[in-house]
Amino acid sequence: MTVDWLAYAPLILRAAGITLWLSWLGMLVGAVGGTGIALLRLSRWRILRLLALVYTEFWRSVPILIVMFFCYFGVPLVLGIDISPFTAATVALALHASSTMSEVVRAGIQSVGRGQWEAAQAAGLTPIQTMRYVIAPQAIRVVLPPSVGVFITTLKESSLASIIGYIELTKTGLLIRDSTDGGFIPLLALAVIYFLINYAISLGGGALERRFHIGRRLDTVGAMA
Amino acid sequence: MNPVLQLDSIVKRFGSRTILDTVSMTVNAGEIVCFVGPSGTGKSTLLRCVNGLEQIQGGQISFEGTAVLPRSIGAVRKRVGMIFQHFNLYPHLTALQNVMLAPMVVHKEAKKTVEERARALFEKVRLSHRINAYPSQLSGGEQQRVAIARALCAQPHLLMFDEPTSALDPETVGDVLGVMRDLAKEGRTMLVVTHEIRFAADVGTRMVFMDQGKIVEDGDPRAMIAAPKTERARQFLSSIHG
Repeated sequence: MTVDWLAYAPLILRAAGITLWLSWLGMLVGAVGGTGIALLRLSRWRILRLLALVYTEFWRSVPILIVMFFCYFGVPLVLGIDISPFTAATVALALHASSTMSEVVRAGIQSVGRGQWEAAQAAGLTPIQTMRYVIAPQAIRVVLPPSVGVFITTLKESSLASIIGYIELTKTGLLIRDSTDGGFIPLLALAVIYFLINYAISLGGGALERRFHIGRRLDTVGAMA
Repeated sequence: MNPVLQLDSIVKRFGSRTILDTVSMTVNAGEIVCFVGPSGTGKSTLLRCVNGLEQIQGGQISFEGTAVLPRSIGAVRKRVGMIFQHFNLYPHLTALQNVMLAPMVVHKEAKKTVEERARALFEKVRLSHRINAYPSQLSGGEQQRVAIARALCAQPHLLMFDEPTSALDPETVGDVLGVMRDLAKEGRTMLVVTHEIRFAADVGTRMVFMDQGKIVEDGDPRAMIAAPKTERARQFLSSIHG
């Protein structure tokens, strides 16, 4: 039996869009949350630092699939509210991404030397102004490259959502495989599509890095002091 | 006499180590005070206490009549410029942007006003041709002169120099000291931590010799260099004279 694979193309493309949307959402929430956690990690209050550390260690140690199961099956049982597979998947991806991103952002902020804080504070900038005008623009150079990696990881991990029945790219491929002769072509197609998406993200990340002049030598003395 | 800065028995400790041990002094407008003494005797720490980069554990500092406290530190920093040993220019900004940042962000001045003043300052520090360079493209001496312009652009009432030439190549030290001489001629109030004894003698109106967290000698620079009153100052000054 021959299968008209091209007929499935629109379905697959739509599914790829869904996967991209799910991962992007997880990454976005994760990056914002992770930045917040990173700031807590650098707080002057020990209790906040400790809470942030526990958060990071916990969410990066628990498998995403378990978190998805917990959200999808556990929360309705305990709280009596229905959680859609999409919400469960997004929450699980975001929690995981935020734990990784908190470490990435923390490393970025800490890469900016103490002398930069001192120069800004001596000039009268408030801590928020210092972060905005002096620290963040320098930290972004350190934060961006690993963030692209986190996004790619998140996108790959989003395939786990297929297990709780969310019809994203992987689930779509598996459904196509079931409705055809069960061959390996749909799996191969999935691999290629995931590769293409992630490769595009890599290229996009590279372009962003060039925009932020990452790799251009910073003022070494000033940055280190 | 018009006191700009008053230190009243200030004490600074790092853990169990006492860095500043009940230091008192008054700085009047127009004075150029050069702080000299062995490393680790609290000269830089003293400057850093004035603008709140370090907290004091005892005593009181007042700047233009206002006590320097955590809640007043913002107002003090607006009127005190600081120049660091390692320049600490913002590496992601051009020389011009470095100079313009604080006046725009902290003093909320209009961009046009600030830029006019900044350009004039680049002329003053003789770096008009480097206005759009990034710090990494500048030599140490050029970076330090940008840092001086950056401090001046906020129109401070007091300038503090923390070993401004210690991280420089010998051939660029003169350019930075030259700019500082010009500032001294304008009658600015300056605190300078330095090992440049000749600069202290030529430009300083007052020299403070510190040792082990205390002011040991305080007086006219030339008189002190010629005839130190204390044995400790005599030893130190002869050691750096070579």
